[in-house]
Amino acid sequence: MSAEALVFDILAVMAVISAAGVVLARNPVHSAVSLVVAFINVAAVYLILRAEFLAAVQIIVYTGAILVLVLFVIMLVHQEDLPEFHGGRPVQRLLGFILGVMLFGEVAVGIVTHTMTAQPGPWTPEAVQAVGGNVQAIGQVLYSGYVLPIQATALILLVATIGALVLARPETPKLRVEIPRQVFTISLGHPRGTDQQGRLDDVAALGPGYLKPEAGERELVMAKSGDEFVDQPVWGEREQK
Amino acid sequence: MSELTAQHFLFLSAALFIIGMIGVLTRRNVLVIFMCIELMMNAVNISFVGFAWEQNSMIGQTFALFIIAIAAAEAVVGLGIIMALSRRLDTVDIDQVHELRE
Repeated sequence: MSAEALVFDILAVMAVISAAGVVLARNPVHSAVSLVVAFINVAAVYLILRAEFLAAVQIIVYTGAILVLVLFVIMLVHQEDLPEFHGGRPVQRLLGFILGVMLFGEVAVGIVTHTMTAQPGPWTPEAVQAVGGNVQAIGQVLYSGYVLPIQATALILLVATIGALVLARPETPKLRVEIPRQVFTISLGHPRGTDQQGRLDDVAALGPGYLKPEAGERELVMAKSGDEFVDQPVWGEREQK
Repeated sequence: MSELTAQHFLFLSAALFIIGMIGVLTRRNVLVIFMCIELMMNAVNISFVGFAWEQNSMIGQTFALFIIAIAAAEAVVGLGIIMALSRRLDTVDIDQVHELRE
């Protein structure tokens, strides 16, 4: 057994154990920590499979960004103690497990009985070494044949950012409570005719006691703009003194 | 099993994918289901990178790179949905989410 295969087996076993921990852990924080271990093992598997750049991206994006985001959300949302794996829904659990084992059996049979035959690509380890390394090779492939997908990915990331902003925004209250104003001013100097919110008909509907008759004893107030006029004393205040 | 062959990483990929699938099927916490989906994406990535390694190709690694980028976008949107869900219904139990609108 070569050392490469031995290290791969160890990493694979650790990845599978920690992946099982993701599913079996009761606390979501424990699941997330278990997932970090699984992702780091997968990154090491990438290293064995000569994908050094992807290993770095895996560590940075998955364990660095996504898992931190998941942990933040775990702490932000209200967690209740769900009864899963501890008494609840044995049928669902059993069915999921049986389905998983069956599918794994099918895939295993497929893996064992079939061998892939294909034309090997040009990127032998020597060719990768010739252009300078894995990053240079992946850059050459990426930016010669996949320019349009890169642009599409940029667009998707932009849309996802906007979508996350819209989704995570605090919900606006659906019903704004109307606080009726008791004191307001009617004036031609105001842009809307009155500083009360709403239509002037509502003001008239309040009744005669609320409206001061025109050409009253109130002194004339000169206002240059509506905003300035709002600051002037209004009828209600005058009557109280 | 003396040398590293395609079967090694294919079995690892299948095992991780099916563990993630069992998690999606059995768990009820939305966040754990989300993490299991990430696990399944990683399993697919292992397959891509493994075939690229076997066939001396770079295209598999390119695909895996795109999958990681899309997974990041998916994580952002998915966690936003989970936030909105927990804010609106005050639960992370997937069984309590029956309808798309109140």
